[in-house]
Amino acid sequence: MAQQITLKGRGIVEGCCKAEALVSAKPISFLGDIDPKTGKVVEKNLDIYGECVTDKVLCFPHGHGSTVGSYVLYSLAKNKLAPKAIVNEKADPVIVVGAVIANIPMIDQIDISQIKTGEIVEVDVYKGLVKILKKWEV
Amino acid sequence: MYLTKEEERIYDGELGWAKQVCMKILVKLGELFDAERLIPIDSAHISGVSYKTLGEAPTDFLEALAKANEKTKVEATLNPQSFDPEYLRKRLPKQLLQKQLDILQIFERMGFKQSYTCTPYYIRKPEKNSHLAWAESSAVVYANSVLGAWTNREGGPSALAAAIIGKTPDYGVHKAINRKPNILVEVDSPIKEEVEYGALGISLGKILKDKIPIIRGVGNTSGENLKHLGAALASAGMTNLFHYKDSELKGETLEKISVEANDIRKAIEELTTAPKQKPDLVFVGCPHCSLKEIREIANVVGGKKVRDNTEFWVCTSCHVKEKAKSYVQKIEASGAKVITDTCAVVTWTDKLGIETIMTNSAKTAHYAPTLNKANTILAPLKECLKTALKE
Repeated sequence: MAQQITLKGRGIVEGCCKAEALVSAKPISFLGDIDPKTGKVVEKNLDIYGECVTDKVLCFPHGHGSTVGSYVLYSLAKNKLAPKAIVNEKADPVIVVGAVIANIPMIDQIDISQIKTGEIVEVDVYKGLVKILKKWEV
Repeated sequence: MYLTKEEERIYDGELGWAKQVCMKILVKLGELFDAERLIPIDSAHISGVSYKTLGEAPTDFLEALAKANEKTKVEATLNPQSFDPEYLRKRLPKQLLQKQLDILQIFERMGFKQSYTCTPYYIRKPEKNSHLAWAESSAVVYANSVLGAWTNREGGPSALAAAIIGKTPDYGVHKAINRKPNILVEVDSPIKEEVEYGALGISLGKILKDKIPIIRGVGNTSGENLKHLGAALASAGMTNLFHYKDSELKGETLEKISVEANDIRKAIEELTTAPKQKPDLVFVGCPHCSLKEIREIANVVGGKKVRDNTEFWVCTSCHVKEKAKSYVQKIEASGAKVITDTCAVVTWTDKLGIETIMTNSAKTAHYAPTLNKANTILAPLKECLKTALKE
């Protein structure tokens, strides 16, 4: 039986959830890359182009680009299109503030290369853990 | 994090919801980055003013703050919005204008200055070593690197929170130790044009992550070229400060990378996506033009006229436009528009039927394919002017 993978990180915005992972190998600029009206990834250079971030555990290395990005996260939440949680390798202020005002659980210092799109993951910000669930646990 | 009694009372909500939410933003950021305390700021600059980039939802957040009767505690300027007072008001749908005016009215109620520019430093230059809480990544890089003021790269809401509380958490580049260069960038061939500075910024931004570079080989250039370099650096990466004076290199051994002429040429090519070389819009003024840039444009325009079926926009702040009156007259006599308070990126060029944008701004070329659904041509100012104007 394969070893279950539990990743330890640093909790930033409190919360817990279990959902499907969507993993971008590249940094995300919420302004421009994500459409706040649909939750879809519209930046063609991203490996997750065309995917929808809604209700996913969105994993990406870090944010970049415009500081208006925080409000896009708030827009997504208001439109009920937000990710269930955000998992970063390194948190940056644009994403942190967005997660605070949009109230999206967030954790960083996670090696996101361990997580694959489509896997079901459990995020527990209080303990600072991201658990990749095996199929029979889902 | 240490909070004074007064700060604690705000955090606990004793002074109301709005101040509490603002304080929470500041404290959360402070804790994340191991700040020990909050420090007073001289000014704040807010991004996220344009209705096009803001959309619907944040209006509610801003409205709630304004309703709670919150006012700015320090001088606080605003980034560009999506309309200018004249041209775009006539050409874009009325309902968009109304949405934008609603947002501006909320900011006005909170006491923000109606500056609508990404270059607030042309209105009032922050003092060296003063602490600021600025959003708008290009202005942050410029303030830190060229003006020697100290500001982290705030998000729209964190700058808003800082404007209302009058403080910012003491972390990042507010501390001298975090301002030292940690990577040496050698630019192997001399670069002159603003597009080369911009292209250098885009390619460096992608590889530097959050490192602080000292860039060798650009020391004697103009503030405007450094503005283009910083704007591009910030759009493509997380950098908020660069050094460019050799005197700042104090004999430390730093990791070293070099950039060759070929890298810059390749970056310029990649920022040009247009299959055709005939733009619908020639756009100069990202970041907003300085007085010097407006003068330069006016001198080249001379008595020439803008080509048929081509728009030519020069974007700046109303503050600079007012100071540049005689140059503005000359530029507008050609059929060009000197547009204030907004720019091509934060307005709806697609609704004006613009499919191809030619610009001298690497930042615009980087953003326009997604934010304007436009193809781009990145070219130096003199080529932009040649394309925009009849012989």
